[in-house]
Amino acid sequence: MEIMRLVVTGPVGAGKSTFIRSVSEIEVVDTDRRATDDALLIKKRTTVAFDFGRLQFGPDMALHLYGTPGQSRFDFMWDILIQKAHAYILLVAAHRPHEFREARRIMTFMKQRSPVPMIIGLTHTDCPGAWDAANIALALGYPNPARRPPVVAVNANETASVAEAVIALVQYTWAGSLAPTA
Amino acid sequence: MAISTEKLTSILQNFVTSTTDIQGAAVVTPDGLPLAATLPGGMDEERVSAMSAAMLSLGERIGSELARGGIDRIFVEGDKGYGILTSCGEDAVFLVLADKAAKQGLLMLEIKRTLADLKAVLM
Repeated sequence: MEIMRLVVTGPVGAGKSTFIRSVSEIEVVDTDRRATDDALLIKKRTTVAFDFGRLQFGPDMALHLYGTPGQSRFDFMWDILIQKAHAYILLVAAHRPHEFREARRIMTFMKQRSPVPMIIGLTHTDCPGAWDAANIALALGYPNPARRPPVVAVNANETASVAEAVIALVQYTWAGSLAPTA
Repeated sequence: MAISTEKLTSILQNFVTSTTDIQGAAVVTPDGLPLAATLPGGMDEERVSAMSAAMLSLGERIGSELARGGIDRIFVEGDKGYGILTSCGEDAVFLVLADKAAKQGLLMLEIKRTLADLKAVLM
C-alpha cells in the first residue's frame, strides 16, 4: 500500500480543518482549542498542532491529509509537516483579500523548505466580495497564467468538491513526477 | 475580575528563582498565546507558547484516542534537561523547563504547589 502525504495549509479561517473533515474516511484527529486571538473574529476554535485525516485512493494507495495551524506562531508545525509532504494545497479565502499577503507568506515558507508540488484552492468563492481566480493568482505572485500552479475553487463543506480538489492535487503531483520540469 | 499579569509573572519569578534547577516557566493560553513567562535568554515567548499548546493538545489527544485517560502532564526528557507541561485549568497551560540535575519528585511537588497559586489568580 502506497501512502501519499498531502498537507493542507493556508491562513486562519481558510477552511483547512473543514476541508479534511469533509473528505476523511476516519474520524479526524484534530487538535483545536478555543481561540483567544484574532481568529475569534472568524471562528470559535482554532487548530494548534495539526488535523489528520485519511482517504483511500484506488486499491493500493492511501492519502494521508495533514492540516496545519493557520497562525504564524505555529510555523514550527508548518515546518514539521511540510518536511514529509509529497504535495500540498494552499487554501485561500477568496473574499478576504487582506489575507492574501499572509497566504503568500505561508507559500514562501513552504517553498523555502520543500520543492514538492503545490496547488491553490480558493474557498468562500460564493461569498460577497470574492475575488476571481486570476486576480488572486496575481496577488499571490503569479502574474503569468501560463506559469502558475493549478488554481481550483473548492467548497470545504462539500465532500464532492473537496474530493475534486484532492484529485486535482494528486494528478498534478503525478504529472510532475512523470515529466519533471527544469 | 481581570487576570493580573503582574501576579502571574511574580508567581513564575518566585517559582523559577526559589526552586533549584529550574530554568524557566511560562503560562500560556490553550491556543498558544503567552499570558506570562520567565524564560532563559534567547527563548522567544511567542514560540514557546505555541509549542506548549501544540504539545499539550497532542498529548491530550493521545490520552483520549489511545485510551490513556485524562492527561496529568507531558514530560519531555532530554539529555540536557526536562520540559514539563501541565494543564492549568481550562484557560491555561503551565510549562516548566528544568535542568537535568533537578530532582523529579521535588519538581513535581513544586509544580503542583505553583499550579494551585496560578489557578487562584486565573479563576
